[in-house]
Amino acid sequence: MKPGEPTKIISLDNLSIGYRSDRKTSKIVKSEISASAHSGELVALIGENGIGKSTLLKTIAGFQQPIQGELRICGKQIVSYTEKELALLMSFVSTEIIRVSNLTVFDLVSLGRFPHTNWFGKLVDQDRTLIEEAIKAVGLSGFEYRMIDHLSDGERQKVMIARTLAQDTQLIILDEPTAYLDLSNKYEIVHLLHRLAHEKGKTILFSTHDLTTAIAESDKLWLMLNDSVEQGAPEDLILNKNLNRLFQNNTLYFDQQLGDFRIPRIKGKEAFLVGEGLALAWTIKALARNGFTQAENAENALIHITVNYPTWSVCTLSHEEEFDSLFSLCRYLNTI
Amino acid sequence: MGKIELNTNTYATREFRVLLLFSLLVPLFFLLDLLIGSYYISAAEILKAIFRSENSDSQVLLIINNFRIPKAITAILTGAALSVAGLQMQTVFRNPLAGPDILGVSSGASLGVALLVLGTGGLLGGTMVTYASSWGIVAAAWVGSGLILLLIMLIATKVKEIMTILILGILISSGIFSIVNILQYFSDESTLKSFVIWTMGSLGSVTNLQLAVLLPSVLIGILIAFLSSKFLDAFLLGENYAQTMGMNIRFARMLVFLSTAILAGSITAFCGPIGFIGIAVPHIARMSLRTAKHSLLIPCSILIGALMMLISDIFSQLPGSEKTLPINSVTALLGIPIVIWIIIKNKNNNRL
Repeated sequence: MKPGEPTKIISLDNLSIGYRSDRKTSKIVKSEISASAHSGELVALIGENGIGKSTLLKTIAGFQQPIQGELRICGKQIVSYTEKELALLMSFVSTEIIRVSNLTVFDLVSLGRFPHTNWFGKLVDQDRTLIEEAIKAVGLSGFEYRMIDHLSDGERQKVMIARTLAQDTQLIILDEPTAYLDLSNKYEIVHLLHRLAHEKGKTILFSTHDLTTAIAESDKLWLMLNDSVEQGAPEDLILNKNLNRLFQNNTLYFDQQLGDFRIPRIKGKEAFLVGEGLALAWTIKALARNGFTQAENAENALIHITVNYPTWSVCTLSHEEEFDSLFSLCRYLNTI
Repeated sequence: MGKIELNTNTYATREFRVLLLFSLLVPLFFLLDLLIGSYYISAAEILKAIFRSENSDSQVLLIINNFRIPKAITAILTGAALSVAGLQMQTVFRNPLAGPDILGVSSGASLGVALLVLGTGGLLGGTMVTYASSWGIVAAAWVGSGLILLLIMLIATKVKEIMTILILGILISSGIFSIVNILQYFSDESTLKSFVIWTMGSLGSVTNLQLAVLLPSVLIGILIAFLSSKFLDAFLLGENYAQTMGMNIRFARMLVFLSTAILAGSITAFCGPIGFIGIAVPHIARMSLRTAKHSLLIPCSILIGALMMLISDIFSQLPGSEKTLPINSVTALLGIPIVIWIIIKNKNNNRL
């Protein structure tokens, strides 16, 4: 796929997804889904638990049939593909952690060559080259003969991504690839997906609960809301306030400045702050957590705080105290 | 890159060395198995008999050709077949404790044989053992074990927890044994006797005639297993992954079940239920090869299984005495420590 001329890879048109219990009855999880994804795009699927993210991914990956509407992969209806044809276009990473001992990184990644090799799965030179390249692309060169049960969660997830690269498909679908990972691994994996989408022109669709990384790295969000599915660049969805609707039944609100969800604090107490730089910024955050807002002017505020890192001085009507950490400052403020 | 190639080489030689070692041990223990029995025959006489030397004793020839060689070949076939059946079941169910005996596949074969034998009035052990009746017994065992495999598969789609599936498998086995017991209750004395002898399990009761049925059956089962080795590799990641890699799940599962039913069914039909080889051997194969690739695990399981059964048979002869122990008990005593070790090793993570 040449960069610069994106092709439509996934196209959902008025799609209903759900489970067919028998020929006539079916339980619809979500209907009227219209969205698309092009080559070279990293698309994040966002939505509350139970809204149907997994069902949608399973439908696109071909595990479940669409109930109604159209689901096209590379221009053709998904139901018209055989399993083998689909495997040449699309690869998949599930939420399940693979636990197999005595399986090397190389052997697991080489399973990605499944649809390309002969009946016995014999690897030819071209297969080996592609496998080595896939391992290199996820940054695991030198790990080829490690056993996968000796890898960290982040490394194992990279191996699963390398397997999709070895499968050499235009479309890659991942169901919550960052679910079990720590913060730095979350960033690393999503950034890796971003890089693969942009450098190799792949279409990568992943579901996630981690908005910060999704907003920072994805080209497009598919936002599953209670009454509709919205798509667009993350920034578009912030500006048109669609992201605010994500947790509408909840106490969470979306902070459009910070680009993340926050729990609203009960505001009541005010403090006037003097100071500058990073120390001031973090002091404001610490005070916000404890229910203090920043006073506009000095006269009305009962509490004055001067930030002079590494010390903080607090001046109230009756006292003046000095602290050497935000922790002790906050503890003092809570006693007032 | 140099480092990687070095690694490939060391691993290739490890696999080569392991397979070479076992392929040398199997003929060695085969000869040892021929040597041991209630009638003393010297090693020189055995070698003479094998290589069809002119001046060998006709009685010795008779014992070796009609008893010891069929028994040793049966041991090899039993070990190979049960191990390959166990390996495939462990992979498809993604369960380190799956095996033909544990999940009720062997008892399914027993039921098939029981229905045939007790229903038709004794095809086994009697004087009427024919080539055709041997095929009948094998086919009944295949159908029995195949049906139980399908039942377990149905359960496994509903229940994911490994231990629950094992407990259900044990319950199914018990249920089948109860049915077999009821069948025995209603059958006449001579039929009953031949059936009870069969359930004790024995390698020695397999005649050359039955071997002519057992050998091709096991070879076909193993051939199908070899043909499914790529599918088995994909099954390691689970059916969802296998499907998105383009595997036709139903076809692959059918091949694997066909092979398992033929292998476990044939052995159970002629040698009776033999336990623990099917669970233990695949683990020894994985451990010694340090690989999960079935194209290597299948030959390795065949060799280790054959070796284990030859050793079990030698033990069961109680060298130096004229008594023979039931082969069932010997394989259980050899296999159970290995199974206990697997359970302890996997206490916290259910993996293959």
